[in-house]
Order: sequence, then C-alpha cells, then structure tokens
Amino acid sequence: MARVRVQAPQDLVAGASLLAVAAFALWASADVPVGHLRSPGPGMLPRVLNTVIAVGGAILVVVSFLRPGESLGRWPWRGPTFIVLATLTFALTIRSVGLAVAGPLVVLISGAASPETRWRELVVFAVAITLFCVGLFRLLLHLPIPILKIPGVLTV
Amino acid sequence: MSELVSHLALGFSVAFSLHNLGLAFAGCLVGTLVGVLPGVGPIATITMLLPITFSLEPVGALIMLAGIYYGAQYGGSTTAILVNIPGEVTSVVTTLDGHQMAKQGRAGVALGIAAIGSFFAGCFATLVIAALAVPLTKVALLFGPAEYAALMTAGLAFAVVLARGSILKSIMMVLVGLLLSTVGRDLETGVERMTFGYNAVADGVDFAVLAMGLFGFAEVMRNLEVEQARDVVHKAIGRLLPTRADFRQAAGPVVRGTLLGAVLGILPGNGAVLGPFASYTLEKKIARDPKRFGRGAIEGVAGPEAANNAGAQTSFIPLLTLGIPPNAVMALMVGAMTIHGIAPGPLVMTRNAPLFWGLIVSMWLGNLMLLVINLPLIGVWVRLLKVPYRLLYPAILIFCCIGIYSVNNQSSDVIFTAAFALFGYAASKLGFESAPLLLGYVLGRLLEENLRRALAISRGDLAIFLHRPVSAWLLFTALVVVVVAVLPTIRTRREEVFVE
Repeated sequence: MARVRVQAPQDLVAGASLLAVAAFALWASADVPVGHLRSPGPGMLPRVLNTVIAVGGAILVVVSFLRPGESLGRWPWRGPTFIVLATLTFALTIRSVGLAVAGPLVVLISGAASPETRWRELVVFAVAITLFCVGLFRLLLHLPIPILKIPGVLTV
Repeated sequence: MSELVSHLALGFSVAFSLHNLGLAFAGCLVGTLVGVLPGVGPIATITMLLPITFSLEPVGALIMLAGIYYGAQYGGSTTAILVNIPGEVTSVVTTLDGHQMAKQGRAGVALGIAAIGSFFAGCFATLVIAALAVPLTKVALLFGPAEYAALMTAGLAFAVVLARGSILKSIMMVLVGLLLSTVGRDLETGVERMTFGYNAVADGVDFAVLAMGLFGFAEVMRNLEVEQARDVVHKAIGRLLPTRADFRQAAGPVVRGTLLGAVLGILPGNGAVLGPFASYTLEKKIARDPKRFGRGAIEGVAGPEAANNAGAQTSFIPLLTLGIPPNAVMALMVGAMTIHGIAPGPLVMTRNAPLFWGLIVSMWLGNLMLLVINLPLIGVWVRLLKVPYRLLYPAILIFCCIGIYSVNNQSSDVIFTAAFALFGYAASKLGFESAPLLLGYVLGRLLEENLRRALAISRGDLAIFLHRPVSAWLLFTALVVVVVAVLPTIRTRREEVFVE
C-alpha cells in the first residue's frame, strides 16, 4: 500500500485555514436570508464567497499531497506574543488610566519582544517618548486622549 | 484648453493660501519623517497620521494628506537608497542601483536625481489628471451598476496578478477581503451580518484598523524575526546636485519612466506597482551597456523613481472620477474624505470644484515641497536611520496605538488591530499576501451594492453583465489577465520579475 505523504506542508495548513475561515463564516451568517438571484438578500454574497473559499481551500489541501512545495518554516512566538500583549495593555489602560501609564507600558512590554533590548536604556526611552507623545498629540494637536486619570483625585 | 487653464487657476487660488501652503509643507515633512523609518510603508504612515488632520477643514485636511502621501513615498525611496530597505514594493527597484550609488559615495546624487525626476514626473502627472478629469467624469456618468461591478472585478483581477506568490492564494485573499467587507449591517435591508450582536462591528470592520493591523503591526512582527543588521551607508553623502553629465544620462529615463508610470497608474487594481519594474526593465534593455545596471547606474534610479511618482499621482484618477480606489492608500484617502463629509466620485468635481482643483494643484505643490524639504534635510534622515531597531519598534508601536485609538476614540479598535496583526502575520507565514485582501475589502461594499443593483435591474438574469458591451469587455479583460498569468511560461517570467 502506497503511503500518502504531505509534500507541501505550508499549502496543507493554508488550505485547512481557508476551510476553517469558510466554515466559521458559514456558521456566523447562517441566519442571514440569502434570497435568490431575482432579489438577492443580504446573505447572498457571503454565501457565494464562503463556497468559493471552501473550494479553494480544498484544492490547496488536495494539491499539497500531490506536488512538492514549501515547508512550514519557523514560527517564532516571542515577537508576536509580546507585541500583542503590549497592544492589549494599551487598549485596556488608555481610557481608564490614561496615556501617562499606557505609554510606558506599551514600550516596556513590547521591549520583551526582542532579544536585543537593553532594559535601562528602554526605561529612559519609555519616559521620553511618552512625554513626546503627550506634547505632540495632546498639547499640539488637541486630540482627546486622556493623559492621567486617578478616580476621585484628578483627571487630565 | 482654456477650460483646463481656468480650472488650474481656480486650483492655484485655493492651494496658494498661506494656510494651505503651510499644511502641504507640514504634511510632506511629517510624511517623510515617518516614511523614512524602516519597515513603515505609506499605508502605516497615513493611518498613523490620519488623526492629525481631523481638526482641519476638508480642503486643508486633504491637502495635508496628499503631502503626507508624497512624503511617505519619498521616505521609502530614501531608505531604499541609503539602507537598502525598500519602504514598499514600488521602491524595491530603487535599491538595486540606488544603494550601489550610495556605496560609491554618490548617495547625494542618487537622492537628488530621485527628487528631481519625481518632481518632473509629478508636474506631468498633474497635467494628465487635470486634462483627463473632465472627460473621464463624463464617462463615469454613463456607467451603470453592471459596468461598475465589472470594472471593480477587473481591478481585483489585476491586483491578483500583481501580487507576489501563488495566484490561487491571491484569489483566496481577495475573496477573504470581500467576505470581511460584508461584516456589519447590510445597507439595503439593515440585517446584521456576522456581528454576533456585537456593537463595535455593527458598522463593519473599520478600514484603518484592518490596514494598520496588516501593514503596521504585522510588519513589526516580521521585522523582529530578521537580524536587524542595517547597512547604513558610512560613506559621505557627497554632492546633492547631479552634474551636467548625470543630467544628460538621466533625462531620457526620466521622461520614459514618467510616461510608463502615468499610464500604468491609471489602471484599476494598483497598476502603479508595475511602473518602476517596467521602467527598469526598459532602461536595461535599451542601454548601450546593460552590465552597468545593478552597479550604480544613474538611469536605474532616475527612470523607476519617475515612474513611481507618476503612478502614485495618476492613481488618484480612478478615485476622483469614478469613486473607485485603485489601491489601499487611495482607500485610506476615501476614508479621510468620508470623515470630512465628502463622498469621492464624479460629483465632487461639479459640486465642490474648489476642493477638487485645489487638491489637484496641491499634488503638484507637494512635489515641489519634497524637492525643497528633502534635499537640505538628508542629513537628518541619515541620522534617523542610524537609530537601532530595538528602540525604533517600540516607538512605532506607541505611535500606531495612539493613531488607531484616535481615529474613533475606541479602545476596541486597538484590540481589533492586534487581532488583525496576528492574522496578517500568520497569513504571511502561510504564503498569503495582505495587499489583495485589503483591496478586496476596500471594493467589497461598492461591488456588492452594484452587483445587487444590476441584478435587480435585470430581474436576476446574470447575462446582463455580458449583454452590456463595456461590462462584457471589462470582464473579458479580467479573465484574460488571470488566465495569462497562470500559463506556465508567463508564470516563470512573472516570478523572475519579482525576484529581480
């Protein structure tokens, strides 16, 4: 019996991801009326797109067993993880505490994303760039970004 | 002809107020400042700087944005020449000979001829826009829903062919982009689609959020992986002004590059990307000694840079006359216009003539500003380029966060951006390109609207797209373009072009 071997791991995962996207969108738009060609409903285009994306994904999966292609490559986790963490922290702190806290936090957390970071330098840089941003966006451009909020004490 | 002159005169009277001149200047300056940062392309630059135009009146805001756009473009060329890092696809070609020139101590001349060539291209392209705007707008008024839908399909087909990598994957990315654009409340029926009752996406995914995630944040993630050994030129920048001999060598390439770029830039689906490649190939073909290319030939900088700028400018044409953004940067412009209460399209020119012609003249002005600002400030850009990436990326990140938060003053936008960044990063690891997705997303709503209208007119008969000659012709072109790109011989040629 001939063994079935994956020849193009990258395409296999790519195709599977497309199938997942199509399945998710199909489920998410299941209750939207599709209508018919005469009077297309709001669900018509999503349904058509989902179907074609699923077919494309299936083709990629099938071909990945037949034709040699790229390997999956390296998937380093450190960069993306800390970049996302830093961004989420900014999102959670900007409104509740303000830029004076959110700014340094973004810089310091994102610093962990790179092995080249020098921490002392980064701390100074975090303070400096935050001051610069306050000056530029709040004082110069008058954007409504909260600077510092301590509930019951002060709001800038 | 006299009409053209009077239109331009109107434009000059708008753009030449002290206020607007100042805005054009400021836009070019900050645009270049951010655009020079390695790994920050025009899309990320414009998204980041979009909020600073919010407090301005519409004309001023658009003039400033156009300045930011040109600044970002030129910033990309500067990094291409000085550090061998192209800011975006269109300056890839500039790295070939530009960086070699810099290594030979002729960085100043390379930057100078790039600025002068771009200025010439900008002047010409401004005239092209002014001359074509009126007739094309009349054509646009004849377009029905079927023609619009067909034109956008053709644009997406071009985008697929122009993207790097597998055609099938590019098509899939366009479709995913279209799918993303259907998220949110349906305009016709008010039915919510794929929102899970979540309010933040009821109006759809914000374009700035998507663009910033895919092109700002994901780019940082990708850059962190590669060794950040930047090859900043240590040699002196040298004289800026090209010699007479340089000018003689560069004149032909600049003119040819301008023509190529201007024509390709009008194509829907980001034809402007082709300009620099086409110009470089042409110059290498007709050169007496093609071996000089890749070793610091001034023609290899002058031609592509002119093509780049001409294309960047004529790509405004589909947006201003048809209301169809041909690429992601123009889509950002749509976003900015909508924020200021202007719906881009054929009606802008008649209803808001001062704005329209003011914008066109300010494009020319932006090019002039680039020449004035950049040549004296090259020393500053060089110093900025020496800032190590370990400090640069936290700075980019904080600016991006503040920028994206300020667009709608929504924390949830920042969270979505992070999600799209992860998505874009994973997609690129799997061999998918983000550019086709973004264009699919940009055209999605317009395309759906016109498709549904066309079907309503024809009572559900799909043949309407073939019965109307213009639409049939456009769809045929789209089909031919994709089929040709899949043919084996062309496919290898296409790969070569992108490798070069």
